[in-house]
Amino acid sequence: MSFRNIDIDILDEEQLVQEELFEFSEGKPIEPEEALSKVNTKGVEVRNLLTRGKTEDALATAIDNPPYGLNTTEAKDLNTKIVIEVLNSIKATDIPSLVKNLSSEQQDVLMKYIYRGMASPELYSSAMLLNWHEKLTEVAGVGCIVRVITDRKTV
Amino acid sequence: MSMQQPSSLQSLQLDRKCNAVRSTLTAALCLENFSSQVVERHNKPEVEARSSPEVVPNALTISRNENEKVLIEPSVNSIRISIKIKQADEIERILCHKFTRFMMLRAENFIILRRKPITGYDISFLITNFHTEQMYKHKLVDFIIQFMEEVDKEISEMKLSLNARARIVAESYLSQVG
Repeated sequence: MSFRNIDIDILDEEQLVQEELFEFSEGKPIEPEEALSKVNTKGVEVRNLLTRGKTEDALATAIDNPPYGLNTTEAKDLNTKIVIEVLNSIKATDIPSLVKNLSSEQQDVLMKYIYRGMASPELYSSAMLLNWHEKLTEVAGVGCIVRVITDRKTV
Repeated sequence: MSMQQPSSLQSLQLDRKCNAVRSTLTAALCLENFSSQVVERHNKPEVEARSSPEVVPNALTISRNENEKVLIEPSVNSIRISIKIKQADEIERILCHKFTRFMMLRAENFIILRRKPITGYDISFLITNFHTEQMYKHKLVDFIIQFMEEVDKEISEMKLSLNARARIVAESYLSQVG
């Protein structure tokens, strides 16, 4: 009966695959190494901003231009780590005003990272992320979550 | 025996988790009738069938810690919610298993309950567009939230009464021996 386990639909030319659903902003895929090095330089920049106490700029830089794509897992992991680091360093009382100052695109990307962080509770503090989630939903509403669900550009 | 009161910080966190689940569910529960693209005249929940990646968007996880997670998998005509219930020790694990098993054996009475949990979680719900047509969306969301809140309470209560019963049994048994 093993032939029943073979997915014959995959041989169909009409079959839609995950890669086709995704489109890059410039129309060309990013190489994994290039994405990783970009995120690395971003990480240095973010850390510099954090040590100088510019948390708002650090957050904006961290969520700017995320390494989208299907084969950039390493870069994505690193970028998530950077974003969570920034979120961790921001005081809970500053969150509402910070979130309000973000543009709607930035809010969407931030929401993606919050969900990404919550997906691996063994690495990141969920309590902090839940607090961010609450504050961000208050400002950006349910529409922000809908865009996270439907956007194929995962972080 | 005094009930252990959860600290205010813990209950605040639980509140936040419930709020997060509520807003995520509200966002994800946008279902419509959608016939299968593969088999004519079939209508399957796409989150289960996964006949095409096009109709299954990103799944979201909401967690409080490693032991308490909620996975929400949306799709065009159905949504699957899986809950990982807190199990601190062996007794809670057994109680949780018995409790969820009891419910899942009677899944048809709960309408939206899935007969089996997905791997890594303790209990799963499957809501299709037919359910949202029959029932109010906000009531469905309330039901899931209430279930999440009650199940922890239920299991810790069962654990307490189990311990109390074990104590009485041990006392009466040992008084006969002694």
